[in-house]
Amino acid sequence: MNYRNRVKSFLKKPHNIILITLAFILAYLTVVPMITIILDTFTVHQSELMRVKGARVGDFTLYHWTKVLFSSASKKVFYQPFLNTMLVSFGTCFIAISFGGIVAWLVTRTNMRYKGIISTLFIFPYIMPSWTLAMAWLNFFKNSLVGGSTGFFTALTGIQTANWFAYGPFPIVIVLGLHYAPFAYILIGGILRNMDANLEEAALILKASRSKIMRKITIPIVMPAMLSTFLLVFSSAMSAFAVPAFLGTSVRFQVLTTQMYRTLNGLNPGYGYIMALIMISIGVLILGVNQWIIGKRKSFTTITGKSSNIAFINLRAFKSIISALLLVIVTLVCIVPLISFAIESFIMEPGNYSLDNFTTVFWVGQGSPEIANGEPGVLRNPAIYHGLWNSVRLSVLVAFIAGSTGILAGYAIVKKRNSRLSMLVNNLAFFPYLMPSMAFGAIYLSMFAVRRGFIPPLYGTFALLVLVGAVKYLPFASRASVGAMHQLSNEIEEAGTIQGIGWWKRMIRIIIPIQKASFLSGYLLPFISSMRELSLFILLVTPSTRILTTMLFQYNEKGWNQYANAINLIIVLFVVASNVIVNRVTGASIDKGIGGQ
Amino acid sequence: MPEIRLQNITKRFGKSVAVDNLSLVIRDREFVTLLGPSGCGKTTTLRMIAGLETPTDGEIYIDDTCVFSAEHGIDISPDKRNVGFLFQNYALWPHMTVYKNISFGLENLKWEHARITARVDELLSMLRISELRDRYPAELSGGQQQRVAIARTLATGPKILFMDEPLSNLDAKLRMDMRAELKRLHVETDSTFVYVTHDQLEAMTLSTKICLLQEGVLQQFAPPLETYHNPSNYFVADFVGSPNINMLEVTGENVNLDEVRLTSNGLRFLFVPTSSSITVQEGQEFLLGIRPEDIVISPEGNIEGSIYSTLPSGMETIVKIQTENHLLTSVVFGGVDFSMGEAVRIGFKSEHNVLFDRKSERNLATGKLL
Repeated sequence: MNYRNRVKSFLKKPHNIILITLAFILAYLTVVPMITIILDTFTVHQSELMRVKGARVGDFTLYHWTKVLFSSASKKVFYQPFLNTMLVSFGTCFIAISFGGIVAWLVTRTNMRYKGIISTLFIFPYIMPSWTLAMAWLNFFKNSLVGGSTGFFTALTGIQTANWFAYGPFPIVIVLGLHYAPFAYILIGGILRNMDANLEEAALILKASRSKIMRKITIPIVMPAMLSTFLLVFSSAMSAFAVPAFLGTSVRFQVLTTQMYRTLNGLNPGYGYIMALIMISIGVLILGVNQWIIGKRKSFTTITGKSSNIAFINLRAFKSIISALLLVIVTLVCIVPLISFAIESFIMEPGNYSLDNFTTVFWVGQGSPEIANGEPGVLRNPAIYHGLWNSVRLSVLVAFIAGSTGILAGYAIVKKRNSRLSMLVNNLAFFPYLMPSMAFGAIYLSMFAVRRGFIPPLYGTFALLVLVGAVKYLPFASRASVGAMHQLSNEIEEAGTIQGIGWWKRMIRIIIPIQKASFLSGYLLPFISSMRELSLFILLVTPSTRILTTMLFQYNEKGWNQYANAINLIIVLFVVASNVIVNRVTGASIDKGIGGQ
Repeated sequence: MPEIRLQNITKRFGKSVAVDNLSLVIRDREFVTLLGPSGCGKTTTLRMIAGLETPTDGEIYIDDTCVFSAEHGIDISPDKRNVGFLFQNYALWPHMTVYKNISFGLENLKWEHARITARVDELLSMLRISELRDRYPAELSGGQQQRVAIARTLATGPKILFMDEPLSNLDAKLRMDMRAELKRLHVETDSTFVYVTHDQLEAMTLSTKICLLQEGVLQQFAPPLETYHNPSNYFVADFVGSPNINMLEVTGENVNLDEVRLTSNGLRFLFVPTSSSITVQEGQEFLLGIRPEDIVISPEGNIEGSIYSTLPSGMETIVKIQTENHLLTSVVFGGVDFSMGEAVRIGFKSEHNVLFDRKSERNLATGKLL
C-alpha cells in the first residue's frame, strides 16, 4: 500500500478518527493548561505588582519560586501546608482503606447479617458532598473556644470539646477517611469478589492457619489493587478542599488546597500556581507508580475463576455483635448527619436546642432586616432556586458531555488497544483526575480569560463551568466505558459489520444497549460529582452563574449557619434521590462507574 | 487404611437440594470418579468430603474417624482431614514462584529447609518441570500450571487425593497424556483418588469405580465396565458410552418360560434374559437399550436399512442406519467407510442388551436378542 492509501484506510475506521480527534482536543484541554501553569509560575501577575519591584505584568520572574521554596516565609507559606497535606492524605488513606477494606471483607467473605442494607448505606458518604460530614461534625462537636455557639454534644453533656477534637487535622482525617471509605470499599470489594476463593481453600487444605492464609495469600494477592486504591484515595484526599476549609480554617490549619485558595484569590497567584504544579507532579508520580505496579512480572492474570462456591467464613459468636455494630456505625455516618442539618436549619439562636428556639424562618421566612441582612428563607429565596437550577443544568450538561465523550473514548481505546495512540488518549483522558480541582479551575480561569483561537473569552460564562466540569469528570466516564468495552468481545461488533450495519447503528443498537448499565454509570458519576463539587467551580462562578455549592460556602463564610445547613440538606437529598432513582430505573450505579463489580 | 464413608449425606442450598441422602463407601486405594451432568452435586459432594463445604445432614468418616456429623455437631476443618485437593482452575498462587507454590504446604508442616528443597526438587523432576522452578504461574502454559498444581498437591504426600475436574481446562491432546499420567500417579503414590468429572470417557478410562449422580441422587456405584454393560437404569445407560446407546420403545409379551417377544414399530425381537428371568404382562411397555458396537452390519443380518450418515475416524466408523421406522447407531471397527444411502443389513450380536421398565426406567434384565 502506498502512503495515501494507508492514510485512507486508517481514516476509514471510526475508532481511528475518534482517537485522533480526542488526542487533539484533550491535548489542548490538558497539556496546554499544564504549560500555562508552568509559565504562570514564572510570570508577574497584576496583583503582584506591588511586591515584585519594578516589574510590569507579564514579565519573567523567579520571585514566586524563591519566595515559596527558599525564603524565610517558605515554612509558613509552603512547607507547613505541604506537611499538613501529607499528614491528612496518609491519615485519610489509612482510615479509608482499613475501614472500607474491613467492611468489604465482611460483606464478601463472611456470614455477617444485614449485608444488603449495610452495603447500600455504606456508599452514601461518597455520594454526599464531602463537607457534609464536616458540617455534621461541627454541628455535633463545635466548641465555644473558637467562637460562636456550641454543638449538640456540648449542649447535651455540658462538656466543652477540646480544640484538637473539634477542629484541625483530627476531624479532617476522620471525615475525609469516612468520605473515601466507600471508594475503598467498592474497589477492594470488587477484587475480593473476583478473587478465586479456591486460592484460599488450597492453602487451607495444605494446613495453613487462618492468619497465615490472610498474611501469605489473601493480602499479597489483593495488594496491587489495594495499592491502586491507596494511590487513588491519596490523590483525592490531597486535592480535597472543602473539608479542610470547614474544619481547619478556624484553627489556622492550612493545607495546600486552602493555601491555594487564599493565594489564587488573593495577592499571590504565582504562589498558588506553584502549589498546583507540585500537587500535579505528585499526582503524575502516583499514576506512574500505579502503572509500574500493575505492569509487574507477577501480574495477577489468574485472578479470575468461579468463586460461586465461596464458603462464607462463620463469624460464630461475633456474628450478631459485628453486624449490629456495623449497622449502627453506618447509620451514624449516613443518617444522623442529615438529621443534624435539619435540626440546625430550624434553630433560631445557634447552640440553644430548647424547643421554643425552633423556627421555620430560615426555610419559609419572608426575610427581616434583623436576620442575615434580610435574606428570605431558602424555600422563598429566588437566589436559591436560581442556584439550584444552575446546579442541575450544569450537572446535566457536564454528565452528558463527559459521559458521551467517555463512551466514544472507551470504545476507541479498547478497539485499538495496545497501540501507542490508544495509550496516549487513555492517559490524556485520565490526566484531569490527577489535577487538583482548585488548580484546574484556576488554570481554566487564566487560560480562557482571553480569546483563544475561535473560542471567545469565557470568563464569567456558564460555558466555562460546563467545560471545566466535563474535562475534570471525563476520567470517571472513560474508565467506566473502558471497563465495559473490555468485557465485550470484538466479535459482537464484527457480527454487525459483516451484515453491513453502519457504525452509528452498531453503536446505538448493539454496543450501547449491551453495556447500558456501565455506560450509564459513566453519566451518573459526573452528574453526582458536579452536583456536589465546590473547589472546581469556586474560582469560576460569578453572581449570575452561582451554583448551590458555592452559595453554601458563602453562607458558611458569612456565618449564616442555618442557611448553610438548609442548603446542604437540599443538596444531599437531591443527590441521594437522583442516585437512587437512576439506580432503580436503569441499573447504573456508582460502583460500576468507579470500577467495582 | 484410609477409607471414606458417607452416611446419608444431604446438602441443601436454600430450598434446592444439591445432594440428597447419599451413602457411599470408598475403599483404600480406589480411584473413584464422581460422574454426572453439570449441577448434579458431584463437586459439592467432593467439597463436603474435603471439608470445604458443610453438609446439611449426615455423617462423614475418613479412616474410621468421624470428620463430620450433623447430629453430634462434629465438623473437622479441612486442614485436619489430611487430604489433598486439586482444583479445576489449579488455584496456583499468582504471587509465588513455582518453587514457593510447592513448598508452601511443607513449610506449614514445619519441615527443615534442606528437606523441603529436596522434596520440591524430587517432585519437579517427577513431573518433568524442573526448568520452571523460578517462574510465576502467569508465565506458564495451561499444561505446565496443571503439573505444578499436581506437584503442590502431592508434596505433602496425602493418602487421599481429591480432584475437581482437573483436566477440563486442557486441550484434547494434553488431556489424553495427563489421563495416562494420573493413572500412573494413582499406582505410584499408593493413595486413594476421588475424582470429579462430567466426561464419561474420563470416568470410564481412569477409575476403578464410578459413582454416577443425577440431581443429587446416587444412580449407580460400580466399576466402569459394570456400569457400561449393566446400567442400573435408563439414565446411566444413556449417560455412559459414546456414541450413545440405542434406545427403542418396545412392547413385550411372554413367549415361553425365558423368552420375551418385543415389538417396536415394525421391528420384532426375541429377548432371552441372561441375568435373571422376568415375567412380562401382555402389552407391557419397555425400553430396549442396544450398544452401538452390538449392532453388526453384515449380509447375514435380518433387518434391512440404509446408511443415513457415516463418521469415519480411521480407527472406527460411527454409522447411523435408517431402518423403516428407526434411526440406529452402529460402530464399525477399522478403517471402513460407506456411502450415504447405501443399502445394508444389520444384526445383533451381544448378550448385554438391556431391558428397562418404561415407567420406572429401571434395569429389568440384560440378555441376548434373537
